[in-house]
Amino acid sequence: MPLPQRLNRAHWPAGTFFALLAGLFGALFAGIVAWLAADQYGVLQTTESLRLKTIPQTLEYQRLARNLEVLRREGERVLHGDDAAARQQALFVVSLVASHPRLLEDERARALAGETEEFLSGMARGTHFDAAEQAHWERLSTRLTLLADDISVDGVNLANADLEQMSAAIQSGRYKLAVALLLAGVFLTVLLWLIRRHFIRPLQHIDRALSQLQPMGPPPALPASSMEEFQAIEGAIGQLHEAMRDSELTREDLERLATTDALTGLHNRRHFMHMAHGEVERAHRYGRPVAVGLADLDLFKRVNDTHGHAAGDAVLQVFAAILRETLRQTDWVCRYGGEEFAFAFPETTPTEAQALVERLRRRLAELDIAIGEGKRVRITLSIGLADASACPLEAALRQADEALYRAKTQGRNMTVLAGSDAGDEAEIDAEAEPVAPRS
Amino acid sequence: MPHPIRRLCLSLLLVLSAHVAHAAGDVLRVAVLSASPPVSYIDGNGKLAGFNIDIAHALCEAMEVRCELRVSTLDKVVDAVAAGEYDIAVVSLLATPERRRKVLFSKPYYRSTSVWFAPAKTAPETPGVRVAAVRGSAQAAYAQARGWTVVPMHSHDEMSQALASAAADAALVPMLTALALRQHPAVAGLGLTTTVLADAALSGDVCISIAPQHPALRTRVDAAIDRIKRDGRYDRINTQHLPFKLQ
Repeated sequence: MPLPQRLNRAHWPAGTFFALLAGLFGALFAGIVAWLAADQYGVLQTTESLRLKTIPQTLEYQRLARNLEVLRREGERVLHGDDAAARQQALFVVSLVASHPRLLEDERARALAGETEEFLSGMARGTHFDAAEQAHWERLSTRLTLLADDISVDGVNLANADLEQMSAAIQSGRYKLAVALLLAGVFLTVLLWLIRRHFIRPLQHIDRALSQLQPMGPPPALPASSMEEFQAIEGAIGQLHEAMRDSELTREDLERLATTDALTGLHNRRHFMHMAHGEVERAHRYGRPVAVGLADLDLFKRVNDTHGHAAGDAVLQVFAAILRETLRQTDWVCRYGGEEFAFAFPETTPTEAQALVERLRRRLAELDIAIGEGKRVRITLSIGLADASACPLEAALRQADEALYRAKTQGRNMTVLAGSDAGDEAEIDAEAEPVAPRS
Repeated sequence: MPHPIRRLCLSLLLVLSAHVAHAAGDVLRVAVLSASPPVSYIDGNGKLAGFNIDIAHALCEAMEVRCELRVSTLDKVVDAVAAGEYDIAVVSLLATPERRRKVLFSKPYYRSTSVWFAPAKTAPETPGVRVAAVRGSAQAAYAQARGWTVVPMHSHDEMSQALASAAADAALVPMLTALALRQHPAVAGLGLTTTVLADAALSGDVCISIAPQHPALRTRVDAAIDRIKRDGRYDRINTQHLPFKLQ
């Protein structure tokens, strides 16, 4: 694991990261809500002002307009009333209206009402009412009506400002809502992207790494993740891979220890028996040939006694090397006992096996084996072979043992095939001194 | 149900029903005048009528309370409201500082002026002129303050007699009262003239007075005024009783 590189990388605890993200979004959202709420508050304020201030004001304008009409109506009575009392009363109403504080507040109304009152007072005092005066009154009358119209419209227009303000606030609210939605969309997209980039993809990588994890394969290749938790998992996967490889190596060591002979490196007897059983069974099942054999180094004890156990060991190791060179890949061989070896030859008839082991026997017999301190020895091999294609392994090995016994009794350094009359005569090298034992 | 709980529920129920009964029986005592045409008077059927009477009914409707109209007089009504004998008074009282010290006033429901009603040669400041004014009215207070000779009246109704019998040379009355007074048969033939007086003490906001013991009532009365002005009741009443729009 490239740990130092890891430390240099950005690393975030996912919880903190998302708390920050949520905080950011919360703040953003609250800001937008406040932003929108300001507009809504504005609308509510304007509505309230419209209801409580503007509409009453509008109604006041309407009343003022109506009073201007009252001036006109009462003026008609002053000019054309049935009797003097009615005319006086009408003039009184005119003067009340014309001097009302509300009417006096409006410049146009004040001027026109004053003019009207003055004209009507003059008429009531008995000024001659002729066509010119009638025309004058009609003009006044028209102006009163027009002013009533104007004031009436002005009153209605009071609401326009409020309505425009409201409309602006609502319009701005619409824009803000669009912005808010856009922001929310952008945030959501960024959030999804972040989740994909920093959660889903690391998870996918982890999944792939785990499914491809082999004890003896390459270390898992995981791209740098930015979340602490994922970095921890990635680290753990690396450690897991190392542990798997270690345990695989240990397992291989143990297997080798359990199946091989420490001195010669050949399989041990237990493993051989297990494998040979398998070969024999397979041969029986498919009707194929199979041969087994037992071999014993002739007079090996004498080498040990004469030259020491180290020399004996060296002889055994050299013999094991010859075995490995001479036998085929498919053949099984093991150190069966001290200087005794067992063979299994799958897909091989006893006769073919005999040729093979003869080659072996001859190579050994011709070899000077260095045993240290410049000394060399020669040693021979006796072999018993048996056909295992028709009988259990144990029986075949027993036969091979009997054949080996015969080889020993018949002079050693020879191969005897079980069931045959005699073994091949060994080629004895008489010059194989100082150790050319012959028992 | 265990006994204590049942008792508790029962007592709660009783309290509630008592409360509801009280709310239903909540009657507003409303002071009005009876001799101030055209705002408050007894009509041909012996019933209270006039602009202020209808306004009082409309306000009570708007406040959703039952009202009991009680007749009072201008010289007593402010003190009676101050003492809590009435809850409100729908009497066209100008909101003068002196009255504001005694009672609560609602927002104005119209603005008024006063009218000098006298023979053409008798101007307001003529020395020795005897001015008829209703006891307790802003007009009486004004006349006294100006050092005029005041002929105190019990009601606006009495004024026509005072003027006809020459007990008074002039009358100082609120504008709406002047409308009726001018047309009274007893004074119609006297040839009196009217002059509108817009002096600050004689004109201004006319308000509902409210007993100071019920400050919360003011908000309700204000809201009721707004409501009847908005929904047109005020204008209908105005048109029914008066020849022009009150503002």
